[in-house]
This record gives sequence, C-alpha cells and structure tokens, in this order.
Amino acid sequence: MEHAVIAGYCRSPFDFAHKGALARVRPDTLAAKVIRGLVRNSGINPTQIEDLLCGCAFPEGEQGLNMARMLVFLSRLPDCIPGATINRWCGSSMQTVHMASGSIAMGAGEAFICAGVESMSRIPMMGYNPLPNPKLYKENARIYMSMGETAEVVAEHYNISRDAQEAFAVSSQQKALHAQQEGLLSDEIIPLEELQQDGCIRGETSAEGLAGLNPAFVSDGSVTAGTSSPLTDGAAAVLVCAESYARRHNLPILARIKTVAVAGCAPEVMGMGPVAASRKALQRAGLNSSDLDIIELNEAFASQALACSRELELDPDKINLHGGAIALGHPLGASGARIVGKAASLLQQTGGQYALATQCIGGGQGIATLLEAI
Amino acid sequence: MNSIKQVAVIGAGAMGAGIAAVIANAGVPVLLLDRVSDTETERSCIAKAAVSRLLKASPEALTHKRNSRFISPLNIDDHLHLIADCDWIIEAVSENLSLKQTLYTQIDAVRKPGSIVSSNTSTLPLHYLVQGLPDSFAADFCITHFFNPPRYMRLLETVAGEMRPEAMQQLEHFADLKLGKTVIHCKDSPGFIANRLGIFWIYCALVEAIDMGLSIEEADALLSKPCGVPKTGVFGLMDLVGIDLMPAIVGAMCQALPEHDPFVQLQRHLPLIDNMISQGYTGRKGKGGFYRLDRRQNPPVKEVICLNDGEYSPARRPKVPGADTRVHKLSNLLTRDDKYGQYTWRVMAQTLSYAASLAGEVAEDITAIDAAMRLGYNWKYGPFELMDILGTGWLAEHLQTDGFSLPAMLATTARRPLYTLQDYQGNTDKLHFMDVYGRYQPLIRPEGVLLLSDIKRQRQPLLKNASAAVWDIDDGILCFEFTSKMNSLDPDIMSLLHQSIARVKRGYKALVIYNEGENFSVGANLGLAMFTANIAAWQDIEAMVAAGQQTFKALKYAPFPVVSAPSGLALGGGCEVLLHSDAIQAHTETYTGLVEVGVGLVPAWGGCKEMLARWQQKPDYPQGPMPAAAKVFELISTAAVAKSAEQARNNLILRPDDNITMNRDRLLADAKASALKLAEDYQPPQPATYALPGSSGKLAFEMAVNGFVRNGKATRHDQTVSLHVADIMAGGDTDPSEPLTEDDLLQLERQHFMQIIRHPDTLARIEHMLLTGKPLRN
Repeated sequence: MEHAVIAGYCRSPFDFAHKGALARVRPDTLAAKVIRGLVRNSGINPTQIEDLLCGCAFPEGEQGLNMARMLVFLSRLPDCIPGATINRWCGSSMQTVHMASGSIAMGAGEAFICAGVESMSRIPMMGYNPLPNPKLYKENARIYMSMGETAEVVAEHYNISRDAQEAFAVSSQQKALHAQQEGLLSDEIIPLEELQQDGCIRGETSAEGLAGLNPAFVSDGSVTAGTSSPLTDGAAAVLVCAESYARRHNLPILARIKTVAVAGCAPEVMGMGPVAASRKALQRAGLNSSDLDIIELNEAFASQALACSRELELDPDKINLHGGAIALGHPLGASGARIVGKAASLLQQTGGQYALATQCIGGGQGIATLLEAI
Repeated sequence: MNSIKQVAVIGAGAMGAGIAAVIANAGVPVLLLDRVSDTETERSCIAKAAVSRLLKASPEALTHKRNSRFISPLNIDDHLHLIADCDWIIEAVSENLSLKQTLYTQIDAVRKPGSIVSSNTSTLPLHYLVQGLPDSFAADFCITHFFNPPRYMRLLETVAGEMRPEAMQQLEHFADLKLGKTVIHCKDSPGFIANRLGIFWIYCALVEAIDMGLSIEEADALLSKPCGVPKTGVFGLMDLVGIDLMPAIVGAMCQALPEHDPFVQLQRHLPLIDNMISQGYTGRKGKGGFYRLDRRQNPPVKEVICLNDGEYSPARRPKVPGADTRVHKLSNLLTRDDKYGQYTWRVMAQTLSYAASLAGEVAEDITAIDAAMRLGYNWKYGPFELMDILGTGWLAEHLQTDGFSLPAMLATTARRPLYTLQDYQGNTDKLHFMDVYGRYQPLIRPEGVLLLSDIKRQRQPLLKNASAAVWDIDDGILCFEFTSKMNSLDPDIMSLLHQSIARVKRGYKALVIYNEGENFSVGANLGLAMFTANIAAWQDIEAMVAAGQQTFKALKYAPFPVVSAPSGLALGGGCEVLLHSDAIQAHTETYTGLVEVGVGLVPAWGGCKEMLARWQQKPDYPQGPMPAAAKVFELISTAAVAKSAEQARNNLILRPDDNITMNRDRLLADAKASALKLAEDYQPPQPATYALPGSSGKLAFEMAVNGFVRNGKATRHDQTVSLHVADIMAGGDTDPSEPLTEDDLLQLERQHFMQIIRHPDTLARIEHMLLTGKPLRN
C-alpha cells in the first residue's frame, strides 16, 4: 500500500470575524491566495495535482457553487485539476486529508491539495437558511444544542472548573504570543495585503481579566468568551502526496500519515469527539497515547480540550506548543488543515516520532490523524 | 445655490465636535482641527479623541455611525492650510478674544477668497471680534451661535455684522436646508437673544428661590409645565448645562451690559454657587449639581441641595396644592396668594418685563425672540406668546400694581394682543405680529415652509372627531392630523381615516399624514386596550385589531397616493402607518420601530407583513425562506428603534425612494410636494406574496430565543412573546413551496395578538408602561 505524506503546509493569518482585517475579504479569494502560496512554496508541478479538495462548514453564498472548483481558477491552476468541496463542519479540511490519503492508498492519484476556509464574517454560522427538522428536534432536542451549551455540559459532566478553563486559555494565549514574537509562525503564514500576521492573539490575557467575564452561553455557567475559540476568518492548506511521488520529485516531506479515524459520540458532549476518534487512530497504529511526541488538539472550548486531554491521558506539555484555537482562532473549515500541517511541521522540527491531530465536531463527532516521522 | 461643499471646524471641544457632527449628518465633509497634543506622539489626537467621543455620545450625536467618515480629525499646526479648500470655516475655540483674533489672522492668511468665516461665540460681540482685521475679512465674517447639543437644538443665532448679504444668504440656505436649523437674526448685543433672556430667567429664578425660601423641587415644579417649560425647570437645566460655566457667563454679561440693565441689577455674589463649583458639584458632567444621585444605595437615591445650608437630602415630590399645570391657566397660578403663586409671579413678571424691554434691542421683532426661546430653551411658548396667553392688559396692570417696571412696548400695546389674525393680500386670517412701534405686520414664512398651525388658524377642518382632524392644505392635498393624547391611535382615528379615504377619492389628489406634535405617534392607545382587556371584552379587542388592519390596507390600496411625514417618535402602530404609506417624507429626527414586544404584544396592524415584504424585496439580500424572516424577527423581537431617519432607512422602514427633510419646518411642504409628484400618474401597489419557512424556520427562531434565555439576555416572557413573533415570521405551518398572501399574514398577526394579549404577563407589561412610561422586564 502506498503511504501518503504531508509535503507542504501554509495558511493565511487568522483574524476576528466582523471586526478583523479579513471581514471584507471574500473567502474564496482568501483560500486561493493560500493555495497559490502552497503550490509555489512546495515546488510541485501543478499539472500533476490529481484533485483540489476544500473543506468548508457552511458552503453557501460566497463559499457556495462548489467553491473548490472555483479555487482552481482563482489560484491560476490548470483547468485539468478538478475540485470538490467537503463538509464535515469543523472537521472538514482534516477530512480532505483523509480522503486524499485513501485515494493515494488505492492508487487513485499521487498529489492532492487539501485546503479549508471559513469566513465567519461573511457567511453566518448556521448558514443563511437554517431549517432544522422539527420532527427530529421533538424526538431529541440535544442534537441541535448550541456548541457553547455542549461546552457547558462537558464542563459540568467532567468537572472542569472555571479556574482550570481560564488557566488553560491564558496558557494558550501565552504560547501563541511567544510563537508569534519568536517568529515561529512566520514560515506557515502567507502574508496578505490586508493582514500580515494573526490578529486574534490576546497575549495580555490574564486569569484575573478572564475571571471578570460573564458566562457567554448559560447565565449560571462557567464557559465565557475568553475560554471559547473566537469567530474567525481564515484559510489553510496542506499538500498531500504519495510518499514515492514526493521522493521522486524532491518535495519537502514533513511527515507520513500513519492512520486516520472518525467517530461519533453523544451530540450534547460533542466536545468529547476526539476521544473515540483518537483511540481508534492509535489502536490502528498499535500505539498508546504515551507514544505521542506532538499533539494538536483543537481548542473549540477550554472545557472540552481539558476533558479530552484527561480522558486520553495526554501529556499537557506536548499539546498545542504554539497555542491553540482559543488564541489563534477557529475558522471552522480551515482548522483541520491547520492542525494537521502544524503537527507535521512540529514533528519535523522537534525530531519526534509520532504526532496526533484531532478535533471535535458539532452534532457529536470526532476526527483524528496520526502522523509519523519520516 | 448650495455652494458650501466642505466645511472646517476649528476647536474640537463639545461644541466644535458637535457642530462637526451636524455637518457630517448632512453628508458634507468637514475638517475638525484642534491643537497639537503636547504629550501624545499622534499629533492630531485631540481631534481624534473628539471623534471617538462623538461615536459614543448619548444622546447620539451622529444620525448614523458611518457619518463619522465625513469628519477628518486634524491639528492646526500641520493642517490649517487645508482650510483653503473649505467654503465655511467655523471657529469654536474657547471664549478668549485675543486667542480668537490670532486664529482669525492665521485663517485669513490661508483661506480662499470669499469663503465664509464664522464664530460660535456665545458672549463676545462681533464688533470686538473683527477689530484690527482687514475689511475683506469682516465682509466674510459673521457669528453663528449653535446651541448644545448641536444635533438636537434647532436654533442657530446669527449676527451678520459687515458680512456680504449674498454670503449670509448662502450660509442661511445651507444651515436651513442641509443642517435643519432655524436661523434667527440677532443684533450685535451681549448674549444675543436666547441666552440674554434665558440666563436672566435662570438667574432670577435662582435668587428669588433663595430669597423666598423655596426648595429646588418646588421651584422646578413651578417653572416647568405650568409655564410651558421642559421638566428640567431651572435647576435641572443648570445641572445639564454645567454650573461651572455660570461665573464666566454672568461675568461676561455684566461686563458687556450697561449698569442699569436689569440683569446687572439682579446680579450679586452667591457663595452657594462658588462652594458647589469648588467641591466639584458642577452638574451632570461632575459628581452632581443641584440634584445628585446617591449611587451607594440600590436603587440610587436622587438627592437635592438645600439653597440655604448647601446640604443634600433625598428629593421629595413637590406638592403644590390644587395647581392646574396647564399653561393656559398660568394666570391662576400667578395670582395665588401663597409662596408658590408669589414666587412664580415674581420670576415670570421680571422675565416677561425684561423680554418686552429687549424687543428692538436684541432683534428686529418679537417673533425672533419667541422663536429663539422656543428653539433654544425648548419653551413651548415664547415670552410674547405667554404675554398673549396672560393678556397684555392683565400683565401691564399687574406689573404696575406690584411695582415692577412696565416696558414701553407693553405700555403701547394698549391691551391689544401681540399676535393677531388679519386679512392680508386677499388671504383671510393671516397671522400678524406687533412690531416695536405697535403696528401689526404680517408674519411671512420663508418659501418652502408650510405649517399646519398656520393653516389651522385660518380655516376649519374638513373632517374632525375626538382624535383626529383633516385639513385642506390646497392644491388638491388633504392633511390628516392626529389630535389624540400623544397622538396614540384609537378607533376614532381609524374611522376618520376611512372617511378621509372616501373624501380624497371624491375630489382630491392625495393624502398627507402629518402633525405638529412632539411625536408623530406613540402607537396604539394602550389605555383603551387595557380597559377592554380588564372587562374581558376580547371580541371588542379583536374588532379593533381587525379594523386597524382593514384601515391600513385601505390606505395602502387607495386609488391615490398617501404620504406620511413623521417627526419624533413613530412607534408601534405609528410605525405601521408609515409602513402602509406609498412614500415616507421623514424629518431627520424620526425615531421609529415596531416596539410591541416591549409591552408583550406583537405588531398586528400589518407591521409584520409589511416589514417582511420590504426585506424579501431588498435587492442583493440572501435568498431563500429564512434571511428576510430572520432579519425582521430580530428587529421585532428586540423592539429595535431606529434613532434617526437615516437609521430607519437601514432597517428598511424607509425605502430607497423615501426622502429625509432636515428642517422640521419644511416637512409638510416637502411631503406635499412628494404627494403631488406621486399623484401625477399614480398606480396603487401590487400585493406582495410571501415564501416563508414554516415549522422548520420557527424551530430555528425558537432555538435562537432559547439560547438568549439561557445566557440571561432574554426573560421568560420575552421568550413567550418572541415565539409568537416567530410563528408569524415562519408563516405558521406553511411550507416554503406554498406562497402566502397578505391576508394570510394579517390573519396570523391577529391570531397571535389575540393569544398573547390574554397573557397575564403581557397585561402586567401594559399596565407598567401606562403607569411608569417604562417597559417591564418580566
């Protein structure tokens, strides 16, 4: 079986939706700039790209019309490359990596662009026409529970205190600020005219400051805007190739995709999705969580990130070394590509052996990608 | 005519910045310049800070936040040369003569020839300001005195001096049509008109209260409603304006006025005021003034200072036994033989006597003084109008009997009224005023100003009942006027609207809905609704709802145009009147929205249906069954009120073809012109159809509302009422593939109104609103 490798990663700077510098940028324009950067930086021959996959959680409006195919044209790639827009909500662009690796394993292509984008400024969360099924709601209202409320359920059920959430958020901000100041993010970021570096990071965040915030979702709850990922605009992309192809063309190989997995869980604790998905991926690789050197655990909310870390017995010192979504932002469709690319880069930089990238997904799902050093 | 294309304001204090906002609200670019900051690296940070204060001001200084883009915050050192591109340069720096004159020299060096320069001084006479400056400067220079806050005060006092008449005309035209100000010509005398008399009145009320031992609450109760003055009275007004300004203004006035002027005679040292200022009690901007709030207590307690010992104690509701507070009964109050009557009489006697002595000195005629007090101090009646209410003969007699000076003007009136109706150039009953020589002169309104109050003096209404009247305003146009209390809508109004429709059909071209109340309409008569609900006459309530729906529908589809011309509040049913009109000619100060949920109700006179149609038809808006419904749901369930006509355009209450009038006095004429234009080839509108989401969309709204309840932003009853709104917006149990008609939506509105009005929490909200004027959050 042919192995898939990550042979390139880049992203746009991320910024707050509505008030940030990307609020007036079309998401397809934004993603195209990132894809152009990826192709240029990796040195791949564009005509050999099998498919352009793009994850997006709300593929309508400016993100509609099978945006992935439009991205081929907007990125000035040859007409021979097709495009498919993929939706698994927050797991959308990690899903594109899984699909590309599957295709490579069965010999259905050697090089794939796996991108993701979300403009949460321009396309409302829930979309323009949210029309939930009343019959299903009557049977099980939890299915449609808002993400913030699921974070509260997790906090309560797994006994994650508000203090612990805030300490986690402060740490995420500090790691992100440090990475930004040390230039550790500059390799992955494609600077834009509108914005050259991440706009969401609030390095001055303190536990005292966070303690003053009101609960954002439930009036007597513990989850605040400070311990949640912000609404964000951004795009990210990784280049997924067959290992033999990458070697043949001297592409920079960051890591090998060892195993992948997705899993469902109860929708009211959707934040725990990474647990089952990561266990599956580890089991398929014959590994334990203690074998992991690098972990990218998407921080939708501090409560779920902490609960997952505890359930999976992860080493906190190995999680999100350059900060997570609470600090960097969480453009839904783009986050999966970002954390896979980040985990692969860190694996290469640190000389570790195994890395895990995993995310929770609304509706009660998890997705995980296990990487291995070359 | 409009040759003022760019303006500069120099001085970014409260007045300068506020004036810049007024100009920006007119859509005209304005440079706002102030000093270079001594401490900050950003050299224009003083002007920049002023713009950010404008964006946060309450009440709002800008009619729309985006108007701030018209204001360029700059500094004098680096950018004064940019005023070379400005047609009008307004100086609004502090009241320091040499500072102003130095600035004028700098301005004169860079301004373009013929550009207008004006000062916003409130105390310095023009002939001082231009001393030593070239004649060419004086020919372009005048005083333009705005009132605070500049957006809301309609008065603009001008002193022309040596200014070229054509330049003055150009400036007035701009101030009137673009800025919406009423320009009053003043003579070059200290304090001009409004402050000359207003400060006298305030000072007189203060010293008389001290001398006669009245409490502040008593003085304010007497010198407000009974005299047609805003409820802030005198002491509340001083708190608002700033007590610390008093010494400087009083000093400047005394210096400028001759010794025998009654104000100079009245003036004396007031230790209380000095103590208050030195302790920081400068008014609302400081830690309090004559009134202060003790915030240590919950809820905060309003306290009031004692004029004798300067100690604060909780404010009491003043009891003035048996007082009739209507202005037309003022003479009863003034002749009461107790301290209340004596106090009010002493203050009003001196104030009116002073006013009469100023006619001719501060302005050409009494109409300017009356207008200045109405617009600059928000008095309901100017001093000469008050004299007519009291009777000039009555006033002259009482002044003499009680030893007050009798001004020459009152002596020459010989008991005749100061305003009267006479025939003029073939028009019967034209309003005339008495000039300073005792002769009646016709009151000529500027072109483009049409006042219903003038028409009402001249003729009888065509139709009339207890709550409304219909007037023929010529050229085939009828004007429908609400006359009910606060212009609330009731069955009488609905019935007269039906009669008006029939009447217009029989021989007129169009109908304009307009009135000259403070507010266009506060909505349905809640008292009537409450009464009917209390006796459980539900069928009567449903009949009222249905009648309103049918009336507004008849208005919309009448074979002639209907133009509504709101100013002030147009809430709930008042907003629904606008929504059913063919065109809206809105005064810029129009505050409108569907606020029914505030009293636990849903809009049911077609408001939901009309707003849905507007948003569904908005070009470039996302398509599908939800976006329009979701937007209207948001507006109605949060009782959103647009805080200006411009904001109402954003909410689509005003449509792209609807127009905004800046000057209140021009509103009726503009509405009439719009009606005449529409009447040329009028076709009634086509009914809208609605593709709405049905139960799935309702669920999406429900989920959103539940989220707001859980995070504490909505109350239980907010949730209940919102779900009724949600069902209307969703089109009930419809399917997106089945278009609904306007009647389907009216039925949904009516059905939900009838369900929710029986809810005890809704009745509690209505009762609370009727008792307190404030919404209940239950």
